[in-house]
Amino acid sequence: MKFIAFHFMPYRELPSDFEEKYPSVWVTPPKTLFDPERGHRMYHDYLDELEYAIDLGFDGVGVNEHHSNAYGMMPSPNLMASILSRKIRKSDKTSLLILGNSLASYNPPVRVAEEMAMLDVLSGGKLIAGFPVGTSMDQNYAYGINPAELRERYYEAHDLIMKAWKSDDVFMWNGKYNQLRYVNPWPRTAQRPHPPVWIPGGGSVETYDFCIENQYSFSFLSYFGHKYANKVLGPFWERNDELGGDRNPYKTGICQFIFVSETDERAQIEYEEHIRYFFSKCMHTDRRFAEAPGYRTVKSLRAGLRSQFDGTKKRPGDMLKDGTMTWQDLIDEGFIIAGSPATVRDRLRDVLQTLRAGNVVCLLHAGSMPHWLTLKNMQLFAEEVMPYVKDIHSEWDHSQYWPKGFSEEKVQEAVTQP
Amino acid sequence: MAQPISKIIKINENVSFEVKIAGQGEPVVFLHNLGGLKWNQFLDELSNHYQVYAPHLPGTGASTGLETIRDLWDLILCYYDLFDELGLESAHVIGHSLGGMIAAELAATDQSRVKQLVAIAPAGLFREDHPIPDMFAMLPEELNRLVVLDQDSPAAQMMRYVPEDLDERTEMMIERIQNQVAAAKFLWPIPDKGLKSRIHRIKAQTLLVWGKQDGLIPVVYGEEFHRRIAHSELKIIESASHLVDVEQTEEVISLIRDFLKTSDIAFTL
Repeated sequence: MKFIAFHFMPYRELPSDFEEKYPSVWVTPPKTLFDPERGHRMYHDYLDELEYAIDLGFDGVGVNEHHSNAYGMMPSPNLMASILSRKIRKSDKTSLLILGNSLASYNPPVRVAEEMAMLDVLSGGKLIAGFPVGTSMDQNYAYGINPAELRERYYEAHDLIMKAWKSDDVFMWNGKYNQLRYVNPWPRTAQRPHPPVWIPGGGSVETYDFCIENQYSFSFLSYFGHKYANKVLGPFWERNDELGGDRNPYKTGICQFIFVSETDERAQIEYEEHIRYFFSKCMHTDRRFAEAPGYRTVKSLRAGLRSQFDGTKKRPGDMLKDGTMTWQDLIDEGFIIAGSPATVRDRLRDVLQTLRAGNVVCLLHAGSMPHWLTLKNMQLFAEEVMPYVKDIHSEWDHSQYWPKGFSEEKVQEAVTQP
Repeated sequence: MAQPISKIIKINENVSFEVKIAGQGEPVVFLHNLGGLKWNQFLDELSNHYQVYAPHLPGTGASTGLETIRDLWDLILCYYDLFDELGLESAHVIGHSLGGMIAAELAATDQSRVKQLVAIAPAGLFREDHPIPDMFAMLPEELNRLVVLDQDSPAAQMMRYVPEDLDERTEMMIERIQNQVAAAKFLWPIPDKGLKSRIHRIKAQTLLVWGKQDGLIPVVYGEEFHRRIAHSELKIIESASHLVDVEQTEEVISLIRDFLKTSDIAFTL
């Protein structure tokens, strides 16, 4: 198993009436709610937390990209990754996961090839390159990309970046959206021919095929945990079998909130309010921005709409909004895995074996969680849980999906001239 | 209501138009709005006086090839190709909203192809002092309230209709979204794709029709179009919003008929 300590870097101090007073945490949250001095504290706390994860020996630390978003304050994940790369270069365990750069919004996309190559070199060949399409809120509404062009731009950017990484030559690119006479990014990546690529996705068949054919790892990144993920990973594996791919669990990853304390009771006392902050404020999005026309393909739409109309089953977000979910419900529904180390270990083992996921993007910070509590959670997880579930799927080779890194060369000591 | 015939017309290897055709008389091309082409009372009435050609925008109805059309310029050329296939050297063109914008572009680009232009609450210009609201970030009921004045009218009821049957409902939603997808391609994220730098080229006599209470593209835009198109007249219709053609069908039809009767002589430079 591989465990990544992941951070959204949320604004921790949204007003208590945020969700009543403002329509959305995303696209339109008032900038006036952001206090730069508080923001300064938060950024550095969060970076300290991720650096601590490196000390604790997590397999990876991870960051991602959002725009105009009060729960994801990383419009540029690469900036955060570059800070982390200084410490990662000295670690023999931890890789650097950027999950990732939303390719369509980089102009030209060569910028991604360049910056990720810088990070790969800086980190000592330990970068995992994530290529999301990006949400409609980020890409269409906040960044104004025409939804009719988003996916085409994404695929073209992907092809351009991969060619830029693989090719030894200066080449020309005459694309639909990018025309470049000279593509020749410096530096080149430390990992040859390129860093492992992960694709965070929803449930579209197009994305499954894209990952399976290119040997990219598919990550289902939902805030609603393992039960929800199972609905997507199930069809992923079915499709994988159809296409004749191997069943390497490192081909898939899930996202999971995990909260560890001394006892089950204590976990609830310590974490519940912060989890509720996350689900009530950070998931408070305006449904007007849910999806621009054209963001999903018709194929995905048809599947999605049908299940939306079917039956009366509430969607997880709505269940949380109306406040009817108890702590136990959160656990039972799989939104969180929480409790004593023993509880979390048992649950996790069970889940990971059922899901056939080799990578877990661990969300160890939620909403308003203070720094000390996050450190505690990380430490308990790394010391009391992780070692006991590491063996799952260990019979499989992860090397296609994980960096190998290179150890640092000896630094030449300064020589005093006689 | 007369049933129009539906014809598929392939204009190049990528793009085909589905064109609804009805009526007899002088040819009139009708270009629909963001809601897609619906054969309604307005078109039915129009086809009592003219031969109406109503193409579906590529990507809607059975028209195909949206993904191969790069931009508005490509789209405009597709319509000229369609005119060729229909044997229309030139024709009167009527367009509503998005269709009005396309009609204006057609008249500005090749002045010989549009005989007389009727633009009903066209999109295409944008004023920061009167921004057109974001129609792609609106709940359906909010959009309905903006574009129809009388919420008890048949037009409003039609827009609220949701089929009981789940398969039908899914298909209706998909059709609605496909109409929006195609429209968004030429309107996202701000419905200003440069018409202001071309609009002065419109030489055709132009009738601008506006609902007085247009909640989507307010009348101030009518004045702007009127100012910028040399041979234009602006008619403002009482008790109507953006869907003025369906809200006040009779009046709009009669304005159009009067206008299309006029000859060049009626206009002075």
